[in-house]
Amino acid sequence: MALQSGSISYMRLVAVGEMSDAPEEAWCAALAERGFMEIDPTGELQESCGWVRFDDAFESNYMPHELIGPGGVVLLRMRVDTLKIPAATLKAHIARAVRERSKALGVDKLTRTEKDAVRDEMRKQLRRRSLPRMQLIECAWNLGTGELRLATTGRRLAGLFVDLFEKTFALQLRVVGPQGVLWLRGLSAEELDALGALQPEKFHLSSGGPGLGPQPGKV
Amino acid sequence: MTVEARPENLAFLAREFLTWVWFEAQRGGGGVHLDGVGRVRLDFTRRLRLESPGVAAEATAVAAELPTLADEARVALQTGKKVASTTLLLDVEERHFEVAIEAETFTFRGVKLPTVLGTSDGERLDERLALLDELEAVVDGLYVAFARQRLDRQAWPEVRAAMHRWVARGGEDDQPTN
Repeated sequence: MALQSGSISYMRLVAVGEMSDAPEEAWCAALAERGFMEIDPTGELQESCGWVRFDDAFESNYMPHELIGPGGVVLLRMRVDTLKIPAATLKAHIARAVRERSKALGVDKLTRTEKDAVRDEMRKQLRRRSLPRMQLIECAWNLGTGELRLATTGRRLAGLFVDLFEKTFALQLRVVGPQGVLWLRGLSAEELDALGALQPEKFHLSSGGPGLGPQPGKV
Repeated sequence: MTVEARPENLAFLAREFLTWVWFEAQRGGGGVHLDGVGRVRLDFTRRLRLESPGVAAEATAVAAELPTLADEARVALQTGKKVASTTLLLDVEERHFEVAIEAETFTFRGVKLPTVLGTSDGERLDERLALLDELEAVVDGLYVAFARQRLDRQAWPEVRAAMHRWVARGGEDDQPTN
């Protein structure tokens, strides 16, 4: 609920590419196509990632008439579930199961094949008993400016979001850093080139020397 | 021109910017004037991290209510370190914002917004997005003002000289204004 309440940590991105004039229908279909799918605990999948509604983490259907909100803002939410048994937990359960199986078979040690079978069985049992860890990443996308606020600063989650977004909307996302901000706020290509040619200042040295570096041209 | 066509090579500029904000806020008696916004009161709070440039960068991290008053921070300035990240309090008219800014990435962390008054979830969210717009307008506006000043062949040498004197005094202004 980062965008809706409490403190927010976020990164800024900008969407680059061609958009149609009335994309709501196509976008809703694309969001549904990449909607979130629950992890099957009897399967092998450890992570699932997809879109859910901004107001409902268990619903993936976006409605065309409500997709673009006031001010031309699209609110998106990505859900990432992870079902992974902690290594120490798995190891302890396997050790106990191996002991019990050895005792039941009346042997001192299990063969490698028997141990592998115990390990697989334990992993499946623990998966069925575990709940996936759910993470919800919110995003507000201003269609007027192309800018997105992504409510995470974690690189892995941001990477998952960028991948999902680009596949869904057929647009490219670029992270807005110290240079992108200046570009978005109207600095010209010439000004950005001139800034890129500057040498860092040395404010602690009183000689004044190298600070300006190459002089910029007309700005 | 597109963003992706240009490498993000201006991290040094963002560190200079955050250092300049400290300088300007102190020179301006705790605030700065920003065109289109008005007077913005600026205070550094909670955390201040200064880094020296280069691959063998050294860092000084200060955690305090008023970190710019700490001796470590002032000494760090005098040894050539610049502000790499900090938490800023910004007062715009009656609105009170808090944001931690990291120069390297320009990400905003721990943003605290003024209280919103909307009665529905939708209204509150719209208000909060508008407040984020306002916060970004202030921070980005200051950054653009700094960048343009940095390119100004007439204005920048004066600012640079003033910052040299300010750093030499350990981050203390000799001509406080209000």
